[in-house]
Amino acid sequence: MTHSSAGKAITKRVAPNYARKDLRLAVFLILPAALAIFIIMIVPLGYALVASTFDYSLGQEDTAVFVFLDNYIRFFSDPVALQSLFNTVLFTVLSLTLCIGIGVGMSVALKSLSPRTGNVMRAIFAMPLLISPIIVSLIWRYMYDPTYGLIYYVLGLFGLEDFGGLTETATALYSIVIVDVWHAVPFIILVASAGLTMIPEELYEAARIDGAGALRTLFSVTIPLLTKTLVVLILIRGTDAFRVFDLIYGLTGGGPANSTTSLSIYAFKQAYENNQMGYAMAVAIVTLIGLVVLFGPFMRNSARGKED
Amino acid sequence: MVKRRLVSIGKWIVLVAFLIWTVTPILIVIVNSFKTAKDTFTDVPKIFFEPTLDNYVNAFTKSDIGLYFVNSAIVALSSTLIVIILAMFAAYGLTSFQLRFANTIANGFLLGKLVPVIAMLLPIFVIFNAVGLRGTLVGPVIAHVALNLPFAVWLLLGFFRDIPRELEQAAMIDGCTRMQAFWRVILPVVVPGMAAVFILSAQYSWNELLFSLQLTNLETYTLPVGIASFVGAISVDWGLSSAAATITMVPMILIGFFVQKYIAQGTTGGAVKG
Repeated sequence: MTHSSAGKAITKRVAPNYARKDLRLAVFLILPAALAIFIIMIVPLGYALVASTFDYSLGQEDTAVFVFLDNYIRFFSDPVALQSLFNTVLFTVLSLTLCIGIGVGMSVALKSLSPRTGNVMRAIFAMPLLISPIIVSLIWRYMYDPTYGLIYYVLGLFGLEDFGGLTETATALYSIVIVDVWHAVPFIILVASAGLTMIPEELYEAARIDGAGALRTLFSVTIPLLTKTLVVLILIRGTDAFRVFDLIYGLTGGGPANSTTSLSIYAFKQAYENNQMGYAMAVAIVTLIGLVVLFGPFMRNSARGKED
Repeated sequence: MVKRRLVSIGKWIVLVAFLIWTVTPILIVIVNSFKTAKDTFTDVPKIFFEPTLDNYVNAFTKSDIGLYFVNSAIVALSSTLIVIILAMFAAYGLTSFQLRFANTIANGFLLGKLVPVIAMLLPIFVIFNAVGLRGTLVGPVIAHVALNLPFAVWLLLGFFRDIPRELEQAAMIDGCTRMQAFWRVILPVVVPGMAAVFILSAQYSWNELLFSLQLTNLETYTLPVGIASFVGAISVDWGLSSAAATITMVPMILIGFFVQKYIAQGTTGGAVKG
């Protein structure tokens, strides 16, 4: 804090001589990245927005019919679309809650170990993060295999082999949440661990002297001081979960009976299986709106946090 | 005393349970890649078996996995390099010049995290189809650059914000130009941040399926697309796909071990200090 204010004071004195040349250099530095995002993300998004008001199929753009909001009206009267919206929200909420809970819990447990043991454990815990979602789904399809899978073998030992797993509508989405938790908790552990190392040791010292127990320390010292990290984690993990595609594509393809179809999967199917481009784009735009509604507030918080 | 002891035992049980939970699926796929089909499909998981390299031989002879590996390496390295260069300059530009709209622009970058991938995919697919770039590696590279940039810029911003301005001022008083100061003084300080961007971007690009699936053809398949083609079929060739999965994930895990301490430092550089 003191650094940057001192820095500002110096710059103000030097500024007039450099100002114009500096501004040009700054623009020159920022522009390529901004242009890349603009051209590859924002322009296609504009295209998607326009396309969502047409009824057309790929390769037959000439015969496109302008339908204005019909695709959106269709979305809200299409039971499968509504189910995929529900699935997406449920998946995001469950996965995010479990990931943050387990991830932060593990980080706290790891912090209490000796640095050396802690680091080795953290490195091993980090492994799933580096594995492709399509491989993750491959591994877990084998794990969930009713005949040969390890999960059913273990459940069988407890007499629970009736578990529906990926093949029944009642359990499929939850089974995928479990896989997502396996894949994503390592990311939470890495980030939360780094966040924990930033908490001054004196605070724990003080809590101990005041006679606070482990749980009390967790909720009165650790969690409050981790808030900023948690906001970032919710933002990054939440947006990724809401946009989930690869994992479901590899595990169930959206089935059985659309019980695991997410918005991304549904948009993909409408585009590439039903060749309903306009409708697919409308589904994508609804996904965008969902993301903005759910995570926009967190984005503003994380930005404000960084200004001070 | 007894209570502390119990807490400590409980903690270790949880940690070991989590260790088993994390490692078992990975070990299973690696072990399966050395098993024959007969040993893979047993009612009771088989721990002792005669290892075979058949699946790897198959992977390299019956599929083009060698080619996919090279394609993936090209895509991951070039997209990561572009991301690092663009993000590094943007983050420096946004933090070092006291721009009035710096925060607004920085937030604009983060908005990229809200764009549904599918909304980008179809238009890019149509455009690339029209200009004849579909089926080349350019498609996935460009897509991965855009997908990785928002987080990369945001992550590096945290690092650049933490650098005391005096460091740069001092270099310039000693006669460096602004860019010389950047290369000689600023850059060495943010190496951990760069390493974090490197591993996170590279793993994303190496592992990404959707864009690679839609924008490549048989000659430009990347590893995830190749694996998806083994899995997507009605019956899965577990031996072959386990070998392909092992070939794909082991290099990334090894790289991850080398840079994992930077990942932790990197992702929170800006977010946590403050």
